[in-house]
Amino acid sequence: MNGRHLAIALAVAALAAPFVLEGNRFLAFVFGIVMINLLWASGMNLLYGFVGLMPLMFAGIAGIAAYAMVALTREAGWSFWLATPVAAVGAAFVGVLLGLPSLRLKGFYFTLCSLVIQSVLTLAFTFFPRFTNGDTGLNQIEPPAWGGVQLAGVWFDATLSVVAVVGVLLAAWIVQTRLGQRFIAIREDDVLAEVMGIDVVRNRIIAFFIVSLYAAVGGCFYASYVGFISPRSFDVLTSLGIWLCVAFGGRGTIIGPIIGTVILAPIPYLLQELQAFKDVLSGVLIIVVTLVMPAGIHGEIMRRRSLRRAAAPPTVSAAEAVSSNGGAR
Amino acid sequence: MSLLQVDGISRHFGGVTALRNVDVRMREGETLGMIGPNGSGKTTFVNIVTGHLVPDGGRLLFKGTSIAGAAPHHLAALGLTRTYQAVRVFGGLSVRKNIEAALLLGLSGAPAAAEQDELVHWLRLDHRLSSPAGSLTLFEQRRLELLMRLLQRPSLIMLDEPVGGLAVTEVREMIALLQELKARCSIFVIEHTMRVIRELADRVVVLMAGEKIADGPPADILRDKRVVEQYLGTAHA
Repeated sequence: MNGRHLAIALAVAALAAPFVLEGNRFLAFVFGIVMINLLWASGMNLLYGFVGLMPLMFAGIAGIAAYAMVALTREAGWSFWLATPVAAVGAAFVGVLLGLPSLRLKGFYFTLCSLVIQSVLTLAFTFFPRFTNGDTGLNQIEPPAWGGVQLAGVWFDATLSVVAVVGVLLAAWIVQTRLGQRFIAIREDDVLAEVMGIDVVRNRIIAFFIVSLYAAVGGCFYASYVGFISPRSFDVLTSLGIWLCVAFGGRGTIIGPIIGTVILAPIPYLLQELQAFKDVLSGVLIIVVTLVMPAGIHGEIMRRRSLRRAAAPPTVSAAEAVSSNGGAR
Repeated sequence: MSLLQVDGISRHFGGVTALRNVDVRMREGETLGMIGPNGSGKTTFVNIVTGHLVPDGGRLLFKGTSIAGAAPHHLAALGLTRTYQAVRVFGGLSVRKNIEAALLLGLSGAPAAAEQDELVHWLRLDHRLSSPAGSLTLFEQRRLELLMRLLQRPSLIMLDEPVGGLAVTEVREMIALLQELKARCSIFVIEHTMRVIRELADRVVVLMAGEKIADGPPADILRDKRVVEQYLGTAHA
């Protein structure tokens, strides 16, 4: 089965699932959440997996868009379908503005800077209750309407499937364009990329803008799907959860974040009774990913496969396995 | 008009003066060598010319236009490129992907497929195209570095110790490659290996503690009393 067949199979599965799960409202809801997380993870992957930056303010940008969308629909009376793109582009611009100073940094320093920005955004959501209602949060957010009828049940789930599939396909398309090739060159060695004629800061800003759009669109759908948002919906733990989906599944590949999201995103909901255990589990997973599988599940599968191939005729592929492991860092 | 004109460049790092009032000129087609002891400012000089560092003062002209403060990616498009003392390739990507990355610059006069193949063949990388660049030998990586630069058709390539770390036989091969490279672009080369300077350079600039102390044909420079005393030592002379 090649990549194209796999993509079609997964897309069909995603679009069919809401109808299969229709009988079980809870599982269907968890599925919808997984689709939103899939959109988020494929966006996060563009920056973390392909440009090499870990944006911990990801959830904060989603939050800006979600609050803006609610304000626009409630106070200005806009439709969800107009408010979402406007809020998303606005939030992405705010994200780029906030990120501008940090986009000159790389690696750990960028991550640290994004953590600070995320913390500031969480505080802002809490202490400027005019639009956010502070810690109490906003509830009874209306679901989007489609031709006068509010989206509900299976049709809302299916809408989320479409959004996620489009998001993944868009990411898959971006990474094989010249823009995506520039991202990869920057990830591999930003100094060399610059000497090879690539405007590193400019391309990072473009990437960051695209990724912010993913975060923001996901945030708007999250708000209207769950119907309730508070500063906790968009805190650093949310960012880390999305990051974990990408890192656990396999950064820098299209399939990796899908694997990671499908495995990890349902856990908080399925283990709702075991709140404490859930946090311990995600902590353990972060350690496992960092120590045992730096390239994620997908990377690990690829590594074993190439090791097995290397064991048969001793050729270059052993070196390939070593370098793909080292390249993951 | 000089290809490269550097007038009175200075650079300090805190209280340390790395370069003081250095003038260098290069003609089109010339190969210019730069020698000097460790810490004399050679790499700082290259870093300034290629936009990695901003000079404290002085003038930088490339093909007659000022390039002070220009970013490296901008200079690459103008035809000024460099290599690094520690070899630098996209180690996690295959050689072919490295080549594609070099072609991303998208120059209008980018080499056609046939010419790309010819360059790959000349640098003997044809059998390595699908290998990860990080798995190549040092010499192969150095050749890949040259290939990636040449695909961008530079007018001036600045080489920072191109034979550093190579075995004796490889040094000989590299010098032969660089001899042929002279026909393709102007070369600025930093080297400690005197063979490289003697066999390649048309002219040599000597730096000492951040100042230019000599400038002339290699034969004269390598006999210059100050250079011999302070840098080469009696063993080389």
